[in-house]
Amino acid sequence: MAEAFSYINNLLLSGWSSLLDYLAAHVLLCLVPAFVIAGFMGTMIPKETITRYLGPKASKWISYPASALGGFILAVCSCTILPLFAGIWKRGAGLGPAITFLFVGPAINILAITYTGATIGMDIAIARLVLSILFGIVIGLIMAWIFRKEESARETEMEANGLFDQTARVKPAVWVLFLLLVSVLIVGTLQVDIFTNVYASIKLPAGLMGGVGSFLSGMDLTLQGAVLILMLVVIGITSWKGFEKIFEGFTGWTYAALAFIALTILIAAPTEEAGSLAIGINGRLIGEIVLLIAIAVVSRRSFSKDELSGWIWETWKFVKQIFPLLIIGVFAAGIVKVIIPETWVRTIAGQNTIWANLVGVLFGVFMYFPTLVEVPIAKMFLDLGMARGPLLAYLLADPELSLQSILVLNGVMGKKKTAIYVSLVAVFSTLAGYLFGLMLTIFT
Amino acid sequence: MLNIKILGSGCTNCKRLEQIVRKVIENNSLEAEIEKVTDFQEITKWPILSTPGLVVDGKVLSSGRIPSEAEITDWLNK
Repeated sequence: MAEAFSYINNLLLSGWSSLLDYLAAHVLLCLVPAFVIAGFMGTMIPKETITRYLGPKASKWISYPASALGGFILAVCSCTILPLFAGIWKRGAGLGPAITFLFVGPAINILAITYTGATIGMDIAIARLVLSILFGIVIGLIMAWIFRKEESARETEMEANGLFDQTARVKPAVWVLFLLLVSVLIVGTLQVDIFTNVYASIKLPAGLMGGVGSFLSGMDLTLQGAVLILMLVVIGITSWKGFEKIFEGFTGWTYAALAFIALTILIAAPTEEAGSLAIGINGRLIGEIVLLIAIAVVSRRSFSKDELSGWIWETWKFVKQIFPLLIIGVFAAGIVKVIIPETWVRTIAGQNTIWANLVGVLFGVFMYFPTLVEVPIAKMFLDLGMARGPLLAYLLADPELSLQSILVLNGVMGKKKTAIYVSLVAVFSTLAGYLFGLMLTIFT
Repeated sequence: MLNIKILGSGCTNCKRLEQIVRKVIENNSLEAEIEKVTDFQEITKWPILSTPGLVVDGKVLSSGRIPSEAEITDWLNK
């Protein structure tokens, strides 16, 4: 009995420590801005800026890269992808670019890439980005070639519908704000001297800490970590009050929530030396202060309340949709890490072989994880000794293929096309993981 | 009587759009029926590239975004 109890206790501890890692400063510095940017792109950058390059008359040299880029800009959740996919295929540039879009969308949106970079490593994040774009285009070309007869028939019966002719004007302020937001992300995560150097340090009064400090270190928490978790709870409450009814106007809660979000980024930026009460004022903190002020000024000056409400709503929607699942996913992954014996993972996927990569892909197909949860799962496998090649194979295949998405695709484009698409993705992901693993062994 | 269709598979934004439309109808005491089109095949028949789509009397007025209350009021009062 006592044994069982300590086992369960052990599991929960592992889940808890994964969660702490997840809520740590470096992850928040990437996730908080990434959510805001995703919301920004969803509302401020009209879909027409991309879709006009995906019309029926667009040349291949333009439509394929534009589809890949479109996946990056337009799609964060799969519910917006399918209508666009069908539209591009049936009324626009055709099957090839549509497939490219379908493939690239879920894998390389800004949330997925930054989060992968922060938790697993920039090498995997960049490989994921580059390979997804490359394979998206290659798979699109292959599909278009296989079904070329059908495609040419479609082109002749296509009527001019003007659907893709719409253009949209994006005011310059949108791009300015976009650059500022991306800078927040870069300044917060990039490991270079200008940002990590400590220029000054502030000592917290010791008396303040005494008991609290020892309590926190008992829970494996730094003071910074504890404050950040507290801030997240505060943001959660104020956002609920301030953002849920944003379309009825800004309230005090809205401003409070916005201020707390900015404050969280600032709290996460400085370094805290373990065990000491000194806070290091680094380049990161100074940079973030400047950027946040600039963002506040530009948003106030150049954007209407309606535009800002739309942006806040979109961001809040993503957070509500994704964040709770992420927390559960991270906690569960921490627990599972203790249950799965390390030797299993090491024997099956510890080496970079074709077989190991295929296992990574198959696991991605049969396990369905909601958007972004694939990342903590991958982190878990990495901790258990999975090689980086198979890990990449898994990360490439998981967002593309799940039993659920295969069923939906089946309904949209039929059995034959779905089967070919699924096999292509599986083969290419396996190869990608394998080649990436080989490259790592050669260069290191 | 206006016929308003809201195209969308039930995502959050489609529900939000429906709420705003209902509010506008109520505020202006308009006569209208709201039809929610959630079937994917049915949605792709309309010339829109992304949901939510707003169709009034057979005409697509917006897609892929949530129009503001003022915009919708303007459209429905024509």
